[in-house]
Amino acid sequence: MLVHLQGPWNPLLGRLTLQQIPYENPILLGTFIFAAILGVIVLGATTRYGKWGYVWREWLTTVDHKKIGVMYCLVGLVMLFRGFIDALMIRTQQAIAIGPNSPGALGAVHGYLTPFHVGQIYTAHGLIMVVFAATPLLVGIMNIIVPLQIGARDMAYPYLNALGLWLTTAGGALVMLSLFVGNFAHGGWYGFVPYFELPYSPGVGVDYWMWAFQLSVLGTTMGSINLIATIVKMRAPGMTWMRMPIFTWASLSTNLIALTSFPVLMVALGLLGMDRYLGTHFYTAGMGGNLMLYNDLFWIWGHPEVYFLILPAFGMMSEIIPTFSEKTLFGYATMVIASFAIGGVSWGVWLHHFFTMAAAPNVNSFYSITTMLVGIPTGVKVFNWIFTMYRGRVRYELPMLWALLALFLLLVGGMTGMMNAFASNDYMWHNGLFVVAHFHMMVLLIAASVFGAVEYWFPKVFGFKLEQKWGKWFFWFMVLGTGWVFVPMFFLGMAGMTRRLDYIPYTQWAPYLHITLVGMAFYVVAVLFFVAHLYVSLRDREKNRVGADAWGTSRNLEWMTHSPVPAYNFAFIPHVNARDEWAWRKENGIAELHAGDYEDIHMPKNTGIPLFLGLLSMGLAFALVWRIWWLALLCLVLMVALIIIRSFDRDTDTTIPAREVERVERAARDGSSGSVPPAGVLGDAVIATSTVRSGSGGIGGNTTSPRPSWAPRNR
Amino acid sequence: MFIKNKRSKTWPRLVLPLALLTLGGCSRSGLFLLEPEGLISQTFYHYFMLDVGIMLLIIIPTVVLTIWAMWRYRKGGNGSYHPQWSHSYAIEAVVWGIPLLTVGVLSYLSVKAIYDVNPYNPGVIAKAQQAAGGDPVEVDVIATDWRWLFIYPQQHIASVDELVVPVGTPVRFRLTSTSVVNDFIIPQLVGMIDVMPGMRTKQALVADKAGTYVGYSADYSGAGLSWMHFQTKAVSPAQFEQWVQSAQQSPQHLSYAGFNRFARPYIAVGGDQQIFGQVQPDLFDQVVGEVMRGKVWPTPMAMTENMVNYMKKQRAEQKAGDY
Ligand code: HEM
Ligand SMILES: [Cu+2]
Ligand SMILES: [Cu+2]
Repeated sequence: MLVHLQGPWNPLLGRLTLQQIPYENPILLGTFIFAAILGVIVLGATTRYGKWGYVWREWLTTVDHKKIGVMYCLVGLVMLFRGFIDALMIRTQQAIAIGPNSPGALGAVHGYLTPFHVGQIYTAHGLIMVVFAATPLLVGIMNIIVPLQIGARDMAYPYLNALGLWLTTAGGALVMLSLFVGNFAHGGWYGFVPYFELPYSPGVGVDYWMWAFQLSVLGTTMGSINLIATIVKMRAPGMTWMRMPIFTWASLSTNLIALTSFPVLMVALGLLGMDRYLGTHFYTAGMGGNLMLYNDLFWIWGHPEVYFLILPAFGMMSEIIPTFSEKTLFGYATMVIASFAIGGVSWGVWLHHFFTMAAAPNVNSFYSITTMLVGIPTGVKVFNWIFTMYRGRVRYELPMLWALLALFLLLVGGMTGMMNAFASNDYMWHNGLFVVAHFHMMVLLIAASVFGAVEYWFPKVFGFKLEQKWGKWFFWFMVLGTGWVFVPMFFLGMAGMTRRLDYIPYTQWAPYLHITLVGMAFYVVAVLFFVAHLYVSLRDREKNRVGADAWGTSRNLEWMTHSPVPAYNFAFIPHVNARDEWAWRKENGIAELHAGDYEDIHMPKNTGIPLFLGLLSMGLAFALVWRIWWLALLCLVLMVALIIIRSFDRDTDTTIPAREVERVERAARDGSSGSVPPAGVLGDAVIATSTVRSGSGGIGGNTTSPRPSWAPRNR
Repeated sequence: MFIKNKRSKTWPRLVLPLALLTLGGCSRSGLFLLEPEGLISQTFYHYFMLDVGIMLLIIIPTVVLTIWAMWRYRKGGNGSYHPQWSHSYAIEAVVWGIPLLTVGVLSYLSVKAIYDVNPYNPGVIAKAQQAAGGDPVEVDVIATDWRWLFIYPQQHIASVDELVVPVGTPVRFRLTSTSVVNDFIIPQLVGMIDVMPGMRTKQALVADKAGTYVGYSADYSGAGLSWMHFQTKAVSPAQFEQWVQSAQQSPQHLSYAGFNRFARPYIAVGGDQQIFGQVQPDLFDQVVGEVMRGKVWPTPMAMTENMVNYMKKQRAEQKAGDY
């Protein structure tokens, strides 16, 4: 062992002992029981209804971009729920533990959570919401929609796509595991040095945090490579750059940010790992270490990361608003320029996360100005959305409501962001609740866009619309909750209240903290409405079946193929004639889908290897957390072996024969779009063809073709 | 030597409807940032009000425009429908121009403000001092896990979790930490500056009005953070002299050896105010140097994993203080 560890260690189990299972903590025990019951129900139902084969074939081993996207969204949704419970606990603790006379329970002096426990909760909350909820939801939606929007049959690297999913999932699972085995980091989601060094964080919490983070970094980086390659190389013939749908543009700019920034984070965390495992001194206070290095490296990723999250959300708004304004997007070129301007500037602003670190005034001035510059393209976007509604015919259906909520949240978040950028303000409230309220406006904007996008594209993926009644209740209670939680939080910001307190010394702040608790109650009700929304939608799905163009006024290619989308996306790769191709076709009366001489379609073939790599990576991370060296080595060797084995596998493609394509297309066109073999969860008649062996010629087997047919050929 | 703050405090308070909610006296409302009582915090407040005003000038019309467009162009409303209309150079010029102009103005103000409150040499204090003359009071601040030690090198005294400063006199701080990063703030007097181990940062303030102001750490530093607060007493220069003299009578002395024990992790659940009548000269510099050479005061696992027991013990040992 190169470092001094507090507590026992043995070669077999590393630092793992029975005391590390927190069974004496009633909160965690309850959580465990809840999770166990849920797990038994899900696994039991799958066994009872004999669905294991289906789950394995159609989901766990799939490389279909739509299903991978759906699974990303499911992971995001589960983690969103976990993050919400965390938030609920923080808010209740802070509503109780106010002033020296406030009551204490469960071993806490004030409130019901000890400082150590509170620390874990908000660290997990932040990491989960940013990295394991927002990111998977956005990546999932980009995964589903981008290939459809550019007329491709899958992503450029379907196998890599699955690998990204399973690595991200492994990271999320690791965070969940830390609830029941050991503990989680307790300092804040972005890590503090030297606080996260061994002397101050002697437990395994930081290691859990670090490895979970690293797994998601790997997964997201792979995803970004894939999306960039897909957008650059796989657009349908005729789709020039300036005909690309705006959401695809947003995806491109956002993934360029991801590809260039995530590796920096990997280095930042890697150096911390070396400090914690090898006893180096990159970030220590003494021995030549430099703790400020971490802040720089982390936020060189961290700031671009927030734009990585927001740009796809902007893209979603830019799709929804024109559709429901029944009008073209105003200022397409400006929107594209603004997206890239935001992406570009986001690289030069990271110091605004530590204005208070005593940089010289000219340095702070520089970063204050660059940060404000971001406000320009952002402001332009807002005006463009407004002018999209202007002279339109605005329909207030659910997706539009969410998009407009996002617009208003952007106004508040943007204004407060600009106020943070004004460095002399930031000196007063950095690390305070004003900043917290600011970025929650932004993050809730993202959430609102995601909910809007899910409402909007759900019928495309699953073939039926979500019902509107409960959905509207859900929407309005989210609005109420947001107001009641975050308006008081801006006041608390003015009070100078800082973040991450487990005990609030000043009783004058109590009224505000109590009001936020009321807001949390609205959120809880909203979650219940959300469940009702989903349940009723699934129950009544036959009533809400839709055709290809679910909303009637959509404008882009994805609405041209059937809903739900067949495995191969498009029977014929469309030729693109205009920006807003689908709207163009409808206007010119050629919206009929081409039917006729179907051809064999070559598609990538399912594989279980990404899933196994994901599981092994989780094993590896777990072993490293507990310093069980033999297990870490074993997992690593197995991973390398799997990668080598896979690289010799040339049988990676499969063919959907022409008659099968014809059958599917006919079924889809014969009115009852319900009988289409869906790509979604709800059908049993799922396309068996993905396992059909390649027959003649083509791609399968040993033939080497430079270009599989899920990719559109020349432009 | 007595600095009088000339900046008007009344007009901006009228601007801000928020102030309506701060019914009554200052410490009553707890909205510390809106009740500045020091030269630096008032300078912040001045620019803050300008900033908010300019932002609202843009945001309010934008909200109105949005709601108008949503209403007028709703389906079935009276707005005319032009589905193909998607571009206009005039509008483009305006939508780029307005943000550009705003950001220009705000940037100018921001830079001016940064120099005015620059912690190492605040423009406003430098100017005031030039006019009034006199020497500043020096205070060396050491943040430990999880207490504040204030050393007055000129007076050779030190106090724990209590800062006493004379009104109207510049106070200049040097700050360092023994373990992790903290963030020093007294919201009604002065903004934040990071307090970092093995490094020295600076800050400066002038208190305008006698009173007691809270101060705390804003950066997460571990389990004791929520209790890591201190009181700042701004008193008249005469009272300050008195306090110094009585402090010098304190029998407790602080050397590096004593500091080494003092700096071990300690959660001040019930408060922990102490006075040292005699302090080893250059203690501050020695602490910075030791930490730079690798000295750490590690947190025992008993204070993280087993917080419950620790807190109980701590609570029992201390008299229940009230602040
Ligand atoms: C007009 C655009 C924006 C500006 C000018 C801006 C400005 C700032 C500034 C200066 C800070 C640092 C405050 C501090 O820590 O003292 C900050 C924090 C933050 N912002 Fe923004 N921001 C903008 C947009 C966004 C967006 C789009 C997002 C997210 C999607 C976002 C998320 C965050 C987060 C997460 C933090 C705090 C991170 C943390 O400390 O945990 N911001 N913003
Ligand atoms: Cu930032
Ligand atoms: Cu430093």
